[in-house]
Amino acid sequence: MKKFSQMAIPYIIWSMLMLVLPMALIALYSITQPGNSIISFSVTLDHYIKFFTDPDFLIILWRSLMIALKTTMICLALGYPIAYYISHCEERTQNNLVFCVTIPMWINMLVRTYAWIGLLSEGGLIQRFLGILGLGNSELLYTEGAVLLGMVYNFLPFMILQINTTLCKMDGSLLEAAADLGANPIQTFRRVTLPLSLPGVINGITLVFLPAVSSFFIPKLLGGGKYFLIGNVIENQFITVGEWNFGSAISMIIAAIMMLLMMCVHKVEKHNRGEKE
Amino acid sequence: MKKGKRPVGKILMVLSIAFFYLPILYMIVFSFNDGKSLTAFTGFSLRWYGHMLETGGMLEALYTTFSVALIAAFIATVVGTFSAIGLSKSRKLIRDLMKQVDNLPMMNPEIVTAIGLMLLFITFRVEKGYITMLLAHIAFCIPYVILSVMPKIRSLDRDLADAAMDLGATPWQALIKVIIPQIMPGIVSGALIAFTMSVDDFIISYFVTGGGVKNLSIMVYTMSRRINPSINAASTLMIVIITVILVLINVAPAIAMKKRKKENGIRGYFVPAAVACACVAGLVISIRFGSVSERRPFEGEVLHIYNWGEYTGENIIADFEEYTGAKVVMENFESNEQMYIKVANGEAYDILVPSDYMIQRLIEEGYLQKLDHSMLDCMDKLADAVKGLPYDTQNEYSIPYFWGTVGIVYDKNKVDIETLEQEGYNIFLNQKYRGDIYLYDSERDCFMMALKALGYSMNTENQEELNRAYEWLLQCVQTMRAEIVTDEIIDNMAQGRRALGLMYSGDAAYVMTENENMGFYLPESGTNLWSDAMVIPKNAKNPELAHLFINFACDFDGAYDNSSYVGYTSANQEVMDVLSGTGGDFEGIEAYIPRSGYELDEVFVYNEKTRKDISTMWSRVKIAASNAN
Repeated sequence: MKKFSQMAIPYIIWSMLMLVLPMALIALYSITQPGNSIISFSVTLDHYIKFFTDPDFLIILWRSLMIALKTTMICLALGYPIAYYISHCEERTQNNLVFCVTIPMWINMLVRTYAWIGLLSEGGLIQRFLGILGLGNSELLYTEGAVLLGMVYNFLPFMILQINTTLCKMDGSLLEAAADLGANPIQTFRRVTLPLSLPGVINGITLVFLPAVSSFFIPKLLGGGKYFLIGNVIENQFITVGEWNFGSAISMIIAAIMMLLMMCVHKVEKHNRGEKE
Repeated sequence: MKKGKRPVGKILMVLSIAFFYLPILYMIVFSFNDGKSLTAFTGFSLRWYGHMLETGGMLEALYTTFSVALIAAFIATVVGTFSAIGLSKSRKLIRDLMKQVDNLPMMNPEIVTAIGLMLLFITFRVEKGYITMLLAHIAFCIPYVILSVMPKIRSLDRDLADAAMDLGATPWQALIKVIIPQIMPGIVSGALIAFTMSVDDFIISYFVTGGGVKNLSIMVYTMSRRINPSINAASTLMIVIITVILVLINVAPAIAMKKRKKENGIRGYFVPAAVACACVAGLVISIRFGSVSERRPFEGEVLHIYNWGEYTGENIIADFEEYTGAKVVMENFESNEQMYIKVANGEAYDILVPSDYMIQRLIEEGYLQKLDHSMLDCMDKLADAVKGLPYDTQNEYSIPYFWGTVGIVYDKNKVDIETLEQEGYNIFLNQKYRGDIYLYDSERDCFMMALKALGYSMNTENQEELNRAYEWLLQCVQTMRAEIVTDEIIDNMAQGRRALGLMYSGDAAYVMTENENMGFYLPESGTNLWSDAMVIPKNAKNPELAHLFINFACDFDGAYDNSSYVGYTSANQEVMDVLSGTGGDFEGIEAYIPRSGYELDEVFVYNEKTRKDISTMWSRVKIAASNAN
């Protein structure tokens, strides 16, 4: 049996090279000045100081976190009932509905986002529809609303699928037991279904929040040139400004924030579970 | 649980399905649109599919998308499966450590993973291109495969392999004949996830690609600024391919099951997966060989061009390929700065098309090679006004491509020409047009406007003047609800959606041919007299072919194709005359012929210090704009 364990060795080497080393490089870039070679460099925290002392960057960071939060809440508010509905259908319908939710995820994210441009642009279908409803013809494309819509559109399937998976795994007899013990449907939902589906909710939140914070092509395509999120700042540093060290520092900051948030979320989940047991 | 009807859930479900599919359907419908608009369907046509086939680059992108996905998914599945089996037998310490490592690409923001890989390739001087993209995709796919195979291995009977070996099987046989079949469902779903992740990826590909290799998402991203319905056509093609694969995977097992009920389910996965793979491979191959069918004298040589997006005619590239037999790989940039960074990082191109001040910078920093004028026959064909400009007085390094000015496009119905003449650029501070103006997202040209509006030189080095210009722009974005846009300004102004917009003369010419209510005005305080020119970098791999292309693009046919399609003023005098003359595409369009000989018009000069200041101030103006709205 020992022989089998050797099969992992090539991958361990590969992952050190392709997964760990890149992170180390970002960390290295973030604490050095441009022009340093690998052999001789001086350590500096200037890039981090620059980020945290400039209100402009902090505003953008705040905005990114807020729009990701909004996206996550909307996805949760829409995704939970939808997942709940799917999980209570017959198995055949269930599979078909899951299939329907999955298909768009197979189509490239950028293509899906691009598809909204025509729909949202002035004189487009949505504006005409709103016009008929008498909601005026306010601007749709290149607004914060458009960015939010694009994010919800891209990430909602993750939320639905995650919650649906946990709901489907749930033991149906628990619900019957609760009903037998005299709980009304609302009580059953609050005391049984909701706590049991929490792991799915947490996974869903992670899968939505994480890409939403750092997304840069959704704000660029749907938010226009003036809507900046932290992802756009990073992209800008690497693609147009060319300050890689500063860009690396921002990347480290955003990675660290994410790590902390995820740790908090999982703490809360564990805490909740502990209480129930 | 038999609460028959759940109206709220049902309505949400229907709405969400509509929400998911509406944009996709909309895109498919508009890929058959006869016109160029994304909002008005004017008739059925296959025109954009034709355009997609002609431009080659799109099929190339589709090919890249699917071939990378197939190869990456295959390798990731094989490596991931064996590694997962190996890891499951490893010590707990290693197992836990690797679990953390595997989490990296899943728990890190994608952009961070992407940048890490980019830095990795650059640090180790791996030339960025198809191979780096493939490596990156394999890297982020393997963890997903392991994640989906691992639970199946864990639920496996530990003694199974031992039993097989006791019965005389070698470890290899035990692995192949016993373990693998048992965990097959996990492997298949892992392969599917890997394939999906790869097809879906944009961010990582975007940062690790190079040498003009692009997949569909990179293509869409770099072209999305101007309406180009062939993007819809290419996307539709992609959707069709994906749907076929999905249907095969989901429907075929059911059919296979029905056919031979007695066999166990594992075979059922193999057949459709194989069929799907074969279909994709067949498509990929047909696309591949469909696009390079003919053999020519220059066969095998490649010309790498790095140019602005939507900056070449419809036929020039195909014609050049036919003429030389060489293959043209075109990459697009959005700004001179973006191009500069790639060039400074050692990416090799044969031809660049930067603007005046950037050419000056590239010459000063030694990135360009001198042109061999004995190989060029184009100097006589060029307009006098674009020859020997200050950034390259002898045209030693550069041959002009397009040129023009920056001015104000206005809606004649909403803006009075007298007001415009009176106020010049200051009309962008006139409250009457609040919420009705576009600024172009170019730090150079917006500062040019502000400086000219204040009566300064656009090449000023005076900090006080720059500060005033900064405040002028701040006032503009804060009180006027100005929108800062890039190329989408072209289609929006052509539709008459704003009263005023700051635009390049070439885009203005296009807008005016589309909408006769639009006018173009050059303020008396002067403007930026710009030119974009072809240059050959020092590290060009094929300078000979590059010279040939420069001749080709300056020649009447090539220049005519470029100028008539893009709308920018050609550097070729004859083309300019024909297009602006009687019966020409731009007859009577004043924006097509740039104003020349006006003393307040200036050419941009590169200045390292002011560049940085202006760049910082402009990013602040943009932040102010996004906070003001």
